[in-house]
Amino acid sequence: MLAFANLGSQTSDLLPAGIAQLRESTQDGARALETFLAEVERKAFRIAQIALRHEADALDVVQDAMMQLAHRYASRPSEEWRPLFYRILENRIRDMQRRRMVRQRVMSFLPWRGEDQEEANDPIDQAADTGPTPPSQIESDQMMQLLEQALGQLPGRQRQAFLLRSIEGLDVAETAAAMKCSQGSVKTHYFRALQALRSKLGDFSA
Amino acid sequence: MKSTGDGIHGELDQGALEFERRAQQLLAQSVERLPAATRSRLTRARYAAIASAPSWWQHSLARRWVPAGAGALAAAVLVVLFTVVPRGESPVVNPLASAAPEDLEILADSDAVQLTRDQDLDYDFYEWAVGEAKDAGASSVGT
Repeated sequence: MLAFANLGSQTSDLLPAGIAQLRESTQDGARALETFLAEVERKAFRIAQIALRHEADALDVVQDAMMQLAHRYASRPSEEWRPLFYRILENRIRDMQRRRMVRQRVMSFLPWRGEDQEEANDPIDQAADTGPTPPSQIESDQMMQLLEQALGQLPGRQRQAFLLRSIEGLDVAETAAAMKCSQGSVKTHYFRALQALRSKLGDFSA
Repeated sequence: MKSTGDGIHGELDQGALEFERRAQQLLAQSVERLPAATRSRLTRARYAAIASAPSWWQHSLARRWVPAGAGALAAAVLVVLFTVVPRGESPVVNPLASAAPEDLEILADSDAVQLTRDQDLDYDFYEWAVGEAKDAGASSVGT
């Protein structure tokens, strides 16, 4: 019985240290997740915006992807977060595109098309930026616009491969994990995207 | 931006490499130049995502504590087994505990034990004696 009593006292000594350590590691986990999300959120937004060509929809899909990662995969090793996050993001983008197609079909049968037009004609969104803009930035903006249009015309997988590598800088293996395909397929999609963009935009030099 | 030097670049011509570099530069600029309102919404979305993760923390807590609890329980059972039951000895069984009351009476009465141990008893004699005693009792009642 003495051994049992000793065990009890040892356990009570260990518990506070264990709880403190656990709390610390949980806070570390939350911090690591926040750092990761802060690092990817803008790039993810641009990828979604280029694919969807709609700012509010892009924000929605990025928020959904962040929530899903935090809710379901946060306990996974942090090295797995990046490909997982971009896979979730791409699924959300595809869902949004499908939803839009259905909505467009339904709307085409209706005599009125209120909401979307109201959103598109929001005067605040339409207002021009009156601040001074350097000529080099105007040129960059125009080129970016052309690139964005060309990217928007690419097939989904080619666009995805190109953006994951060009914006996020994922390597072939990470891109393959994010796209859930082989590394060979990633290379094929990437080359085709590059070829299509070059044929549309020419040399595209500054 | 991380270099994507993983085999693809070796297969690109100079023009393609230049195009790729320019496209990467433009995309990076567009990420950096996001409007403040968009950046603010993204920050709010991030906070909302972090706040939506309590189930992850609970899951993490459960995942850490369930095996620890099971281990502690197993240790406690082992301690109880080793302290209450002496090691290397089989449990002592008290024969009196399972004995019937009749057996106890026999053991308490030394004569009775002697009787049960005597293999040369003449049981016929005792039956005859009991019969005679009954008959004698019956005849005395009649008189």
